[in-house]
Amino acid sequence: MAGIPLDVDVLIGAALGPVLAMIALWFLQLGFIEVQKWILMTLRHTHEAFCRFSNFIGILFQSMCHALGYTVTRSGIATFHVTVDVGTVEPKKEKTGVFEWVATSFLLFGPFFIPAGLVLLFSFFVIGNGFAYPAVPSSFVQSLIFFGNSIGIFTLRFASFLIHMDLFNPLHVLFLVVLLFFGLGIRPSYIGDERKAKIDMIHDLKSILGHLRQKPLYLLVIILVMYGFYFLSLLLGQGWYMGLFTILGWLSVTAIMALLLTYLLLLLVKSTDHIRGWWKAGAYLSIPVSYVAGRILFVYRPVPQPESMALLFMVVMTSLVTILLIKYKRTNRFKTASKMKHMRAEDGKKRASKK
Amino acid sequence: MEKKELLKNEQVARVLSPHPLSFMKLQVLCILVIVWGIVVWWLVEFSPYKRMFSGSIWYPFILWGLVLLLVGVIAWLVAIQFSIFLLYLGVFLGALGLVFWQHWEHAVALFLLVYSVAVAIVGFLIIELYRRSHKYIITNLRIIFKGGVLTKQERTIRYDKVADIHAKQGVLGQIFGFGTIIPVSQSGLGLGSDSTMAGGGVVLGSGKARLFGFAGGGKEIQTPIAKSYYELHGVYPYKEIQQLVEGLVQSHVPTQYQQEQIEFQKQQVDIQKQMRDLLHQQVRGAPREKASKKYVEEAEEEPEEETQEIPEEKHAVRTVAKKPSEDEAFPSDQIDIQQQMKDLLKKQRTARVTESEDEEADEEEEKEEEKEEGKEVA
Repeated sequence: MAGIPLDVDVLIGAALGPVLAMIALWFLQLGFIEVQKWILMTLRHTHEAFCRFSNFIGILFQSMCHALGYTVTRSGIATFHVTVDVGTVEPKKEKTGVFEWVATSFLLFGPFFIPAGLVLLFSFFVIGNGFAYPAVPSSFVQSLIFFGNSIGIFTLRFASFLIHMDLFNPLHVLFLVVLLFFGLGIRPSYIGDERKAKIDMIHDLKSILGHLRQKPLYLLVIILVMYGFYFLSLLLGQGWYMGLFTILGWLSVTAIMALLLTYLLLLLVKSTDHIRGWWKAGAYLSIPVSYVAGRILFVYRPVPQPESMALLFMVVMTSLVTILLIKYKRTNRFKTASKMKHMRAEDGKKRASKK
Repeated sequence: MEKKELLKNEQVARVLSPHPLSFMKLQVLCILVIVWGIVVWWLVEFSPYKRMFSGSIWYPFILWGLVLLLVGVIAWLVAIQFSIFLLYLGVFLGALGLVFWQHWEHAVALFLLVYSVAVAIVGFLIIELYRRSHKYIITNLRIIFKGGVLTKQERTIRYDKVADIHAKQGVLGQIFGFGTIIPVSQSGLGLGSDSTMAGGGVVLGSGKARLFGFAGGGKEIQTPIAKSYYELHGVYPYKEIQQLVEGLVQSHVPTQYQQEQIEFQKQQVDIQKQMRDLLHQQVRGAPREKASKKYVEEAEEEPEEETQEIPEEKHAVRTVAKKPSEDEAFPSDQIDIQQQMKDLLKKQRTARVTESEDEEADEEEEKEEEKEEGKEVA
């Protein structure tokens, strides 16, 4: 504190830096979520079960966040019901004012951060606790640099772990499964049969903006508390304030990583749609087979990083097998944008299949 | 299903069998064996903790067996199925026997991996065989449940005997679109009970004379439970089948109007039966025509007294003789029969009148309601 000059940049700018950086990362996360939703929408008719599964995870997390909101505000939970299509959470006591506002905040913001928080918690056990915490910034630019450095180190460490992942290690396999599972659920929207404006990113943002505008006084109180916390950190010379926003940034990065991994999975699922019948199983089987083959190969022909090389070999071989299958075993089935039975249902001529 | 198995006017609506993922509870037991086999192999051969197992060649086997049996006990308590524990115990004893028999003690980790995978594959095949042994036939009159791998089992339930329909769909069912429908019969087939027990004991004192106390309690809840052979287990597409079954059950349940009609028809049939009995009684006793002839004959045989006194009125006498009073013409039981018939006819007419009055009253009510609605709209 003694070495830091008390000017406008220190008093206001340095506090704003991590907030803006965190919001920017969150918007990036929203963008990735939107792309995932778009891919899932295109898969809806051919992979209904897959979309229902991803919906279930999303609704489960959303309902959990909502329930957490009611628990934190001591409203209690009267009903907790989660299905593939809808989640219902009802409080025991209908509280108004700040309690209601906090519970709604959990519902709106929770799905973006709480699942990612669980993955982050798990990653500490698998990747380890070697992330860099930022120091106390003295200016707006410095706060951005500190924030960026911390996020960069975290991202590098996370990506490095993914690249060096040993799929013969059950813990690593479990982490990968968790990452994919949460990646499919880090979105607060339901993918239905039809495209609805309600599931757009714009709709989510509008809801959040409306919620914040609804009670400007609460927002002001939050800003004041935030500044209070910043000044306390500054006074004690601790990086608590920066640390808080950095952790929120890590959450966004974790979510983005999980979403990127799910893209690969969705891409594979989408590609196999072009392959005929049971041949599409070949594309999926090539994943474990090529990895095991790679690991065996690199035992007899040693390379510097056999795990990473085996992963690379797996990705290349799977892509190659999928491309070859698409080329030589392409489906000859007549494809329509929507299933024929759906069209018949619209015409009112739906016939039940009888065995 | 063969045609000869069908009843008269019976038509098959759907033939179903459980969804491949509907026996996931059993499949999970196999998956668990594979996963644990792989984990033990990794722990012993590749993990940083492999030194822990260097003390004895039996350590990996003990770890593998203990966890397997522990999971078996937990699954037994949670699912209230002793067979799960027995199954895991069998797997454990099988591995133990094989190791001793073939002397594979020095490669226990690899043996456990191979054995786990092999056992799980066999398990998957048995589950698939079990699943394929199920067949559910939904006809327009009844539901037929068939099954059994070695012993054939069959249950038939008519729609009018279905007291309740219980339907359930788990998370996997919601994702893949299958679910279970349990038609509970009036006799209670399809209902089971979940029972829980809790008990605790304490020994007081350390000497020879120990005091032992035990307390426990239990609870039993009636729930719709049935064997997969007695329910529509994991049928696909669940919603369609549910609607079909509920629709068929509903079509076999008479509505209030139909029940009233049945009651009325029963009443009418009863009246007609009684009338028929009375007629038979009348015919057997002394028919009306015979009775009249009898009286005429009697009058012809004994005309002397009356004709002698008033010869001009012979015709009149004959007329009097032809038309005797009811008391004289019919025996008393015949008059009773006639009276009863009259009463029955009156009853029949009254029932019809009541019915038509009810209909009129209903129509009036409807008209009044329409008028009120019209007023509200105005």
